[in-house]
Amino acid sequence: MNRREFLKLTLALIGSFAGHKLFGKFSFAEAHTNAKNGAHKWGMVIDQNKCNGCGFCVKACQASNDINPEMAWNKLYSSTKVGKKEIFTPVSCQHCENAPCVSVCPVGASYYRDDGIVMMDYERCIGCRYCQLACPYGARSFNWDTFSGPNPTIPEWGEPDIERRPRGVVEKCTFCFQRIDRGLAAGLTPGVNKAATPACVNACPMNARIFGDLTDPDSPVSKALKKSPAFRLLESLGTGPRVYYLPPQPVGEENNT
Amino acid sequence: MIAKMKSFSINPYNAWIGFLLVLILAGVTSGIFVFIRGLVITNLTDQTPWGLWITLDLSSIALSAGAFTLCAGVYLLGLKQFKTLARTAAFIGLTGYGMAMLFLLLDIGRPDRFYNGFIFWNKHSVLWEVIMCIGLYFMVLTMENLPNFARWRWLQDKFPKLVDRMLKTHDTAPYLAVAGLVLSMLHQSSLGATYGVLISRPIWYRPGLAGLFFVSAIAGGIAMTLMVTVIAGMIRPGLQIEEKTISQVARFLGWALVVYLYLRFWDLFAMTYTIQPGRTEGFDLLTRGTLSFNLWFGEILFGILIPAIILLKGSYRQNKLVFLAALMMVVGGLIAYRWDTNMVGQMVVQSPLSVVILPRYTHYTPSLVEVISSAGIIAFGLFTITFGIRYLHLMEQMPFAKNKIN
Repeated sequence: MNRREFLKLTLALIGSFAGHKLFGKFSFAEAHTNAKNGAHKWGMVIDQNKCNGCGFCVKACQASNDINPEMAWNKLYSSTKVGKKEIFTPVSCQHCENAPCVSVCPVGASYYRDDGIVMMDYERCIGCRYCQLACPYGARSFNWDTFSGPNPTIPEWGEPDIERRPRGVVEKCTFCFQRIDRGLAAGLTPGVNKAATPACVNACPMNARIFGDLTDPDSPVSKALKKSPAFRLLESLGTGPRVYYLPPQPVGEENNT
Repeated sequence: MIAKMKSFSINPYNAWIGFLLVLILAGVTSGIFVFIRGLVITNLTDQTPWGLWITLDLSSIALSAGAFTLCAGVYLLGLKQFKTLARTAAFIGLTGYGMAMLFLLLDIGRPDRFYNGFIFWNKHSVLWEVIMCIGLYFMVLTMENLPNFARWRWLQDKFPKLVDRMLKTHDTAPYLAVAGLVLSMLHQSSLGATYGVLISRPIWYRPGLAGLFFVSAIAGGIAMTLMVTVIAGMIRPGLQIEEKTISQVARFLGWALVVYLYLRFWDLFAMTYTIQPGRTEGFDLLTRGTLSFNLWFGEILFGILIPAIILLKGSYRQNKLVFLAALMMVVGGLIAYRWDTNMVGQMVVQSPLSVVILPRYTHYTPSLVEVISSAGIIAFGLFTITFGIRYLHLMEQMPFAKNKIN
């Protein structure tokens, strides 16, 4: 083989590698970016009639996911007033069907799980923070610094069940995937059994948060959505969030379901 | 080398090199500081995650655009008279992309994993396309510059065979020009699209940015090449700068600025013709808000309008200092445009709670570490260009060439 042949062969190899990556059926990136239809599609319903803004969900989230106190996956906004009653909107990752963060991530570190959860691969993330610009919900937090100190919400609000993220990656709500996965393996139903349900749902004293499988008509979320009208945040952007909100009813017409 | 060290004396050249070396040293120090302490020592926040580094990264890529424009002109359109300029532009391009990579390395949270961008492909991402194009185009620029490095007398004396090989790569110049044109057209516009696709920040970011970034990069890149050439000609009178070709390119630049001005105004006013809420707020922020000075003076007046007049009017162009000032204004205007684009979408966001877009004025001023490290990288760029002019004789016919390539 002379040099010219060798160069040709090398170029052909590189070209076929690139072609395979771009058009190949079993591309690694493809598996990361295109959600297949899994058995479940997890979703959450937040009843704004019931939410009183206590912030227990935020604290439970901080403890259960061992989050730096300077960051938050779960944010509580006071949005408006209906009559004299203050209305709160808790916002975490909306686990969008068409998530802007997943499509912009250059390395595919944000990806869809088969069950619809938008996940982060913290090993792959290079920390470019493009997803933070892309997320319309401000759901993403960057690890500006190493989190090495104690977590003030532990043990009062729960015990962490995933490890801390390293400095320099973006992190966000995962619907407590670890609890869902472990629960399913143990034969539990997320949304019904507490051990398989996200920490924020369990912590809510007003039962304002409901969790479950959106594809299952008998799940708590499907039932709640059947019963009353619901809206999603910034629906007009076409992101298809999987977190639904039950809007506050005018005073006097509160339904007590 | 050692002999030169012994005969050290303070002349303007040595002072300039010393000044750059001090800046580079300071930049390296603060860069190491950033790697050790992390991005917490910057003034970047979750609300404004992209700041000074990204602005300068975008600017150095745009100011390198002269390389693909002039190389395409020389090797594809056959405008042989611009060969010297194209050589300079290619070298500036290599420098600029090197600087851009350094800025990115500082900016990403995990610099130890930068290679993930080449390993894991998310082909739906504009930024992935930009990463691939920048990586590939850096290789193209390296190839294009091999004949330039072959002009280094030290290399010629030490490794004559290697120099011969490097000069031979000049045969591939037309192919490299095609590759450079394709890659540059892709990523220069995609850098605008990087912002354009962000539906979460709908006020200023929309797909039209791709075209604007491309046109402004062509103007900025050519202005940068001319600026370096004119300054070199002033400092080293021995250089024979081809006034006629410079004048031709300057006229082209002037018309490019006119096109860019038209597109910019179309962009500014077209955004008010919409029912989408918040566009007018964005317009207001840019034209009357905190960024308005930058827009009206930095971008429009001094960045486009005045230099366009100077460059298009022959009698103004004759005055070297006025001409140089015009070129500097174009370069400054491009940086102002990149800064405004980067900042404006981050300052005005749509609240997730309602459909009403709330202008939110985030105050981002770069921290000292960001400024010093940026100054260090810019000094590195100037150092490289100085080296190119002095030792690679970019702007002259090779006086001591053994081969006939010029």
